[in-house]
This record gives sequence, C-alpha cells and structure tokens, in this order.
Amino acid sequence: MTSSYRLAELMVVRCAKEIKDGEVVFAGVGLPLVVVSFAMATHAPNMILFTEGGSIRATAPPGLATTVDDPVLFNNADATFGMLATMAFLQRGEIDVAFIGGAQIDKYGNINSTGVGTWSSPETFTYFAGSGGANDMATSGKRVLAIMPQDPKRFVERVDYLTAPGYLDGPGARVRLNMIGGGPSVVVSTMGVYRFDEITKEMILAEYFPGHSAEKVRANCSFDLKAATDVRETELPTEEEIALLRNIDPTGFYLR
Amino acid sequence: MSFQDKRMSLKEAVCRYVHDGDSVYYGGFQIMVPMALTHEIIRQRKRNLTILNASTDAGGLDLLVAAGCVKDAHLAWAMNWCAKAPYAIRRAFQAGEIRRFDLSNFSATSALLAGFLGIPFVPVRGNIGTDIVEYNTDDLKVIEDPFTGEKITLARALRADVAIIHAQKVDPLGNVVAWGTRGVTDEFGTMGSRRGVIVTAEEIIDTEVVRSDPDRTIVPYLKTLAVVHCPWGAHPSACRGYYGNDIRFCEYQGKYERSADLLPKFLDEWIYGCEDHQAYIDKYISMFGREGLDRLKPKTGFKPKLEVEYGYHDPTVWQGVPPYTDKYIRG
Repeated sequence: MTSSYRLAELMVVRCAKEIKDGEVVFAGVGLPLVVVSFAMATHAPNMILFTEGGSIRATAPPGLATTVDDPVLFNNADATFGMLATMAFLQRGEIDVAFIGGAQIDKYGNINSTGVGTWSSPETFTYFAGSGGANDMATSGKRVLAIMPQDPKRFVERVDYLTAPGYLDGPGARVRLNMIGGGPSVVVSTMGVYRFDEITKEMILAEYFPGHSAEKVRANCSFDLKAATDVRETELPTEEEIALLRNIDPTGFYLR
Repeated sequence: MSFQDKRMSLKEAVCRYVHDGDSVYYGGFQIMVPMALTHEIIRQRKRNLTILNASTDAGGLDLLVAAGCVKDAHLAWAMNWCAKAPYAIRRAFQAGEIRRFDLSNFSATSALLAGFLGIPFVPVRGNIGTDIVEYNTDDLKVIEDPFTGEKITLARALRADVAIIHAQKVDPLGNVVAWGTRGVTDEFGTMGSRRGVIVTAEEIIDTEVVRSDPDRTIVPYLKTLAVVHCPWGAHPSACRGYYGNDIRFCEYQGKYERSADLLPKFLDEWIYGCEDHQAYIDKYISMFGREGLDRLKPKTGFKPKLEVEYGYHDPTVWQGVPPYTDKYIRG
C-alpha cells in the first residue's frame, strides 16, 4: 500500500491487471501505451504489443512511447510493418485485447472520440481528434479495454457521435452486423472499474476507487448505472508499482 | 516521371506542383509529418485543398486550416497531440469553413490502398454500425457481401492529385528511402497519387547507394516530382533516426493553436515571416537555443546486426553442362 499516488497511476496499474500474460494486445495512443509497458514489465512479460504505427514487439520498448509510431517502438522490435499490415491482424481476428481511450461512453459501451454536439449542425459540434484506430480496434479485437475520464457529460445515455462500437443498441446487435470482435469487456475511468452484464450488455459498476463510493460514482454518470452485487473498492497500487510506473514515465508526460 | 535530377528548392517544388483546388496526400502519421512543406504551402497561400490521410499529428493540419488553405479533409484523426485538441480544425468546422469526411485508420488506409491498387474500393471490417458510415457517405457504404450475403463496409478509393511526404533519405532521381516501418501509409498515398510526390528529406544520397539496398525504397523515382533537401523538415514532429518529437515546441505551438486571436501571430512569426525552412530553424535557434535542437538527437548505436547479401546467380554456368539423366530420365 502506498500513501501517495496520482489518479492516472491508479488507473494504469488497475488497467494493466486486465491484460493476461501471453496475450496479443493492440494499444492505442495515450495511457494504453503506458499500461502495456507496465504490464510487460510486471505480470505479462510474454505479452505481444501491436501499434497502428506498425510495430510488433514481444519486448517492452526501451523507453516511453509518446506516439504510436514513436521510434522507440521500432528499436529492437520483432517486425516493423505499416498501419495496413498491423491492423490486418485485427481484421483477421488475431488480436486478443484492443485497448483504447475515448471521450464519451454510453451504457452499452459505445465510445465517442470524434466530438460532442450535433454533427449535422456544425456550429454546435466540438471536434476532438477523431476515431484514429479506435473504431477498428473496438470492432474486431476479441475483447476491448477502454480507459477514460468520467463525469456526467462523459458517461451518458447515448453518445453524441458513435465512433467505436460497444454493444450498439443492446444484445445481438454486433452479431447482426457481422462484427468479429467480442465487444467491450472492461472500462477503467477516473472513478472506478466497469464490466458488462452478460445478458443485457449494459455497463455495470464493478469497483469504485478509494475515496469514492458506488453512490458517488453513480452521481457522475448520466444513465441509470447498476452496481454489481459484489461491488468493491479498488486495491491501491503498491509502492513498487508506483516506483516502476514513474520509471516508465519519469517526466509525467502521461501521468501528470 | 522521367529519369532526371529532380532536386529543387522547397519554394520551387510547391510552386510548380501544388495547385489551388488539389487533393493532397498528406504524409506521415504522429511523426514524419511534412511540416516544412506545410509551412511552404501556407507561405504560398494555396487554396481549396482537399487533404487525404489516415492520421496526422503536430498540428500541421491545424496550421493549414487556420491559414485558409483547406476545403475538405478525409481522414481518421488529426490534432496536435501535445495541445490535446484540434483547435483550428474545430473552429473552422463550426464556422462551416471546412468539411470533414471521417474514416477510421484502417478504412482510411484501405481507401489509400485501393487508390494504390487502382481499384474503386475495398471491403473492410469496421465503421459499420457507427456514425462514421452514417455521416461519411462519400467514402463509405455498407453492402451485402455478394458471396455470403453478410454485411460489410466498403471504403472508396482515395487518390490524391499530388502527395507530400518527408523522408529520411532520397536520391536525386526521387527514390525514397525509409526504415523503421515503411512509411506507415506513405507508400500507398504516394504511389496512388495521380501526378506524383514532392519529397523533402533529411539527406540526399547517391542513386548507387539506394540501389545497393533496394528493399528500403518505399517510392520508386518514377512517382517523384520533386526532391528537396530539407533537414529538420518534419520538425516539430520526429524523424526516425534523426530527431525526436519536440514536445516543448508542440506545446508552445499548441498554445497558439488554442486561441483564434493568437494563431495568426504564430503564422506571421514562424511561417510568413520565415523565408524558408532554414529561416524557421534559425529562428528556433535564436529563440530557444541550439541546445533545444540538440535535445532532440536520438540515442544511437542501433545499426542492424543482420547482414544482407543481394548476390545473384549467373545461369551461364550451365553452358556445356549435359542434361542430368538417370535410368528413368533420359537426355
């Protein structure tokens, strides 16, 4: 247990635990890049990392990747392909974990990374960067991890723009559209950890972060969030975990 | 394109080969962004460009949009990652000054691949079921697979009139050399372009050197219109093997991008006020010191240990050698 940790550090450590050793993980830009480095340095030394920039590697990059095509990802990589060839592993259904960020999410785990407002009324629409690879990862990864900030405008009944598919409008929707991936599995927010109900496909609160409660998390969610029967407080990261993480991102590029 | 020395200045290359109203394949990804070419297009006040790419960082597209060069953008992702938002693109979209045709990285890459292959579209997984296909009906369409009847998304070919890229090395003819990914999407966007590519590069090397290791050529000379020797041509994005992302400068530029009032001052000071890319780099040194650039130098000592031999076999060794025979196979 540690007394001093940053919120982003708690999120990264918690999220890393969702990656199993030996899995093939496709990581998007941002915190996912830190999570995979952390996982490879701890419990998942045999994880294989893919990025859109074209890197395929079975070893942790020797330094912090600030982008998905950062040269550090190609240093002693196993293969350096372009975007087409690495993302083709998604298209063929060969990626175990697709790992993305996002700006807005709804109860079925649909993610918006394009913008808020009404797209067809441009004056109301505030653009973010756009899908990048999030749509492809969410469509075709065997399971999807998402890491993102939470407040009532970000956890909504219906996303303003559906960029990356979760369970769409509920059970069966992904299968009807011939999506090969399994859909969202776990979401880690700035307040807690979510899973999805196997029957209804709705997001349910599995854990709340220390200092929060299930009620407080629900108050920061605009849809009727159900809590798991065994909802509990997330374990704090250890001193060793925090020290390791700060060694991966010593300047706080991601973890400020 | 002919077999000739295509070296020229940045100014001449953009003047001759980028025209108002062109569609432009915009090279690079989060690194290798063609920033020197971006600045020169802004200096020459090109108008009504359509930008094609998968993803682009370093705020290059924000600068082009703020300078009024862009009409449409077909892409998956654009911003200055250190600024955390695409401020100029956002404002221009809200004002109705640009149109966005959103794709995903794979559908954008596949659309560029279709252009590269000279075919009208390619099927892709993804995009189906989302607002990407809902709103970008110019580039995407969901159909039933004619063989199985299952739903699948088609990405229409994206072919630019002209491509602009930054590369590590190029020879005077325009053979473009890259390593550490073969350009992410640059080979498709470039070879799929109708007229060809303008290449800025850190180094110009001899053709015989390129030919000694042709596996590294991502674009053959016949697609190249212009070759520009341009050190720091991707700054403030990284150029693999030459310099890293200039995070401090991206943050600095991002503070200008954030403000509609301040951004024109960045364009004045750093682009219109600089005669060429060397003047931009000189300005950088005068403001932030040579040590600012020195900090970007990569850790080196990672030359390949794998030896490659392009030796070939000469079939004249068979001259005079009688056919091989045995008890079943007779001469």
